[in-house]
Amino acid sequence: MTQMEAPRIDSSRIAEVSRGLDRSEVERREKVFTVSGLGVSYHGKPALEGVTLDVHKNTVTAFIGPSGCGKSTFIRCFNRMNDLIPGAKVSGTVLYHGEDLYSRDVDAVEIRRLIGMVFQKPNPFPKSIYDNVAFGPRVLGMQGSLEDRVEQALRRAALWDEVKDRLKDGALGLSGGQQQRLCIARALAVEPDVILMDEPASALDPISTTRIEDLMHELKRDYTIVIVTHNMQQAARVADMTAFFSVVVDEDGSGRRGILVEYDATTKIFTTPSDKRTEDYVTGRFG
Amino acid sequence: MRVEFQQELDALEAGFQEAGEIVVRSIRGVIDALRTQDVELCDEVIAFDDEVDDRYHALEKQIELVLARQTPVAGDLRLVLALLHSGLHVERMGDQCVTIAKLTKLSSHLDTRQTVVEGLVDMGERCAEMVKVSLTAFANRDIDQARGLHGLDDLVDRANRQVFKEVLGYVNDAEALEWGMRQITVARCFERIGDNAVDIGEQTAFLVTGEFAEFTDASH
Repeated sequence: MTQMEAPRIDSSRIAEVSRGLDRSEVERREKVFTVSGLGVSYHGKPALEGVTLDVHKNTVTAFIGPSGCGKSTFIRCFNRMNDLIPGAKVSGTVLYHGEDLYSRDVDAVEIRRLIGMVFQKPNPFPKSIYDNVAFGPRVLGMQGSLEDRVEQALRRAALWDEVKDRLKDGALGLSGGQQQRLCIARALAVEPDVILMDEPASALDPISTTRIEDLMHELKRDYTIVIVTHNMQQAARVADMTAFFSVVVDEDGSGRRGILVEYDATTKIFTTPSDKRTEDYVTGRFG
Repeated sequence: MRVEFQQELDALEAGFQEAGEIVVRSIRGVIDALRTQDVELCDEVIAFDDEVDDRYHALEKQIELVLARQTPVAGDLRLVLALLHSGLHVERMGDQCVTIAKLTKLSSHLDTRQTVVEGLVDMGERCAEMVKVSLTAFANRDIDQARGLHGLDDLVDRANRQVFKEVLGYVNDAEALEWGMRQITVARCFERIGDNAVDIGEQTAFLVTGEFAEFTDASH
């Protein structure tokens, strides 16, 4: 190699890791969710109104916004978790690969297999590490070697090396960060298409948070990831697309509901947002 | 919201403006030194550059801390980046003034030629004006004023070429040629100060629009 010859580096990969995908790259990817005019109300009171956006395959999409802006309500619409909340009503449409997610023919249990969810607080079952991951495949009667499936899921969740010698130990003995990765492994074991994460790292220390964020970068090669986060820098680090939600209060102060303010490439949201409300929020001038 | 952060940003910007005002005084100093061939004033300008350097290094350090502690984004990030770049441009203008002062000292034992001195003084005054315009445009986030710097820079470039042409005429006079060659370098220093003022204008445009674009293509 001569002195002036540049080393061979896959610059597109570096660019993707360091800046995320740009909007046109994201929009070229298949639509996983197509949301139109979505609203959610609880006992007749609107919590979220008029949300329209698309989520694309093999991307990380982040929802950010102040408390009460409806971002957690919104993410729960993607696997019909709001069905389980008494008094909740969803209007508008959510298409999942072009099919109406809220059609009567849709099996909500099957939807929740395809669209897994990880919550803020790690919630492993009080069972062994192995049984936590094996639970879903067993219940669903999935074919093939259960042991292989468990190992594969734990490897993908970057937990295998830490637990392979103690699979029969109780899951509750793991650290918080390990428990959260176990919950991710549990979601992966049933071969989902999408992983929803509602504040997945907010209860974790910075090192565990970094591992979860690294994992998101890895997992988006095979899955579509949607994340709600309070941590704006986390959205900036992991997401390709970011949606900013805000709260509007009725003039008479009687009600408040969430709205989608801006949805764009994460790089755009954190460098030159189009809407002043987004700029005020990401720069900390509001909320 | 983020009161302390806003105060830090305000302090950064004030530090940059102060460095800019100091460099304008340096430019005024070298203009007077050229006009009067005052060697002592040249030494003062050279020593005075520490003031510019100190402010630039303080600005750079503060920016490092703000980036580390406050992780600015969007308009705040653009402001911090624009200040970092613009601060460096100001520091370089100060260095150009030092070079002009040294060259003026070096040629002080030689006879001056009035036409060239007048040309250089004219360039210097235009440069001082450009720096002031660049600082005001930055402070007011005024893109139109910033773009106007390009037109002012054309005049400096033209004066630079005139000085060069004038010195070419000294080719048969060894002493005049020695003096003239040094003045070509002085003219070149002023020309660079003008370019740096345009650079600050470009940073202003970036700060406002979020897109960086050079006002002129250097290949033309």
